[in-house]
Amino acid sequence: MIPTIDGKPHRFIVGGLYDGVFVAQDIETKTLWNHVTGEALHGPLAGRHLPVSNLLQMNVKQALAMDPEVRVAISTRPFVSGARRSQLANPNADLNDRFMSTMGPEDTRRPRMELGLGVWTGTTHRFYPLERIRQRGEAFVDEIDGRKLLVYIDPEAATPAALFVNAGGAKAVGKEIRLDTGDVVRSGVLMDPRGRRRNVDSPQQLFTRWYGFALTFPGCDVFGG
Amino acid sequence: MEHAIGLSLKGAICLLIIPTITLAQGTGVGSNTNPAQNASPADRSARGNSQPVFDINRFRPTPSDTFETFHVTDTRPLRDALRAGTIQEDTPVLVTETAAGRLALLTDQMVYHHIAQGRAGNKDWMATF
Repeated sequence: MIPTIDGKPHRFIVGGLYDGVFVAQDIETKTLWNHVTGEALHGPLAGRHLPVSNLLQMNVKQALAMDPEVRVAISTRPFVSGARRSQLANPNADLNDRFMSTMGPEDTRRPRMELGLGVWTGTTHRFYPLERIRQRGEAFVDEIDGRKLLVYIDPEAATPAALFVNAGGAKAVGKEIRLDTGDVVRSGVLMDPRGRRRNVDSPQQLFTRWYGFALTFPGCDVFGG
Repeated sequence: MEHAIGLSLKGAICLLIIPTITLAQGTGVGSNTNPAQNASPADRSARGNSQPVFDINRFRPTPSDTFETFHVTDTRPLRDALRAGTIQEDTPVLVTETAAGRLALLTDQMVYHHIAQGRAGNKDWMATF
């Protein structure tokens, strides 16, 4: 996201909760912003948009495989070095009253706290329930806006992801995602059959609870109906 | 309130105060950026935007000292941090694109900060999580 408005940088803080998710606030104008879409929701700049791009979620190994020159910024906050393997999610977790009091009318097609991958383009908003990605063997090719989209659960990071491909099918094999074209996703990098890295185009996406995506993108598609 | 979001897969799960994570796995920055634009709510409605009108009565402000934006002023090569043992290969990170190249942020820290901002390559950047 680029925090520049009319050529001037703005400083952002966590402003509060709305629809069960946090909203950002710029200090200069007190405008509230949707941190996912970059849209100004309320305040003097309502209706404006900040340019947004994907924030890639991976581990250090994958980051270095993607770009050996990647740099890191580490704050003074304590952190756990290494994967947090003991922190398994509770898919039946509930929202407390503070969150619930911020919620708008909910979309009840899926369970509120269901996890899934939300993908959106300029014209399509689609939610892929995690259980349906699993049911499809943890890797498959869907179509969105006329383009083939690989949807998979990364074997190393254990998170769902999506990227545009030129393939009709895919399957997870060990730590790889193999496409029917011979391409492979390995350590988060798309390789051609000769092992050469391919450039990748990824749609905007969220690993999210259903309610968060559905309230952000009302009326969104749900993969599998 | 924190939600433990994760999978009964192999791990790599983070605790989130917000239950949404902007992500893409491994291979590049999404291409669909939205140019800054002027558009009133009425304009958006006229374009068929399905977003409901923001209801300020449902907004719950967060006390100002609850979270602290990470103002990034210092970075180093990720491989150096790995060699030094500061982080490990399986440490979860969030990677953003700046005008000076890719930058990793520790997922574990961003769960607290939620927002990181900085300037690189003479351009401002921000990551939210």
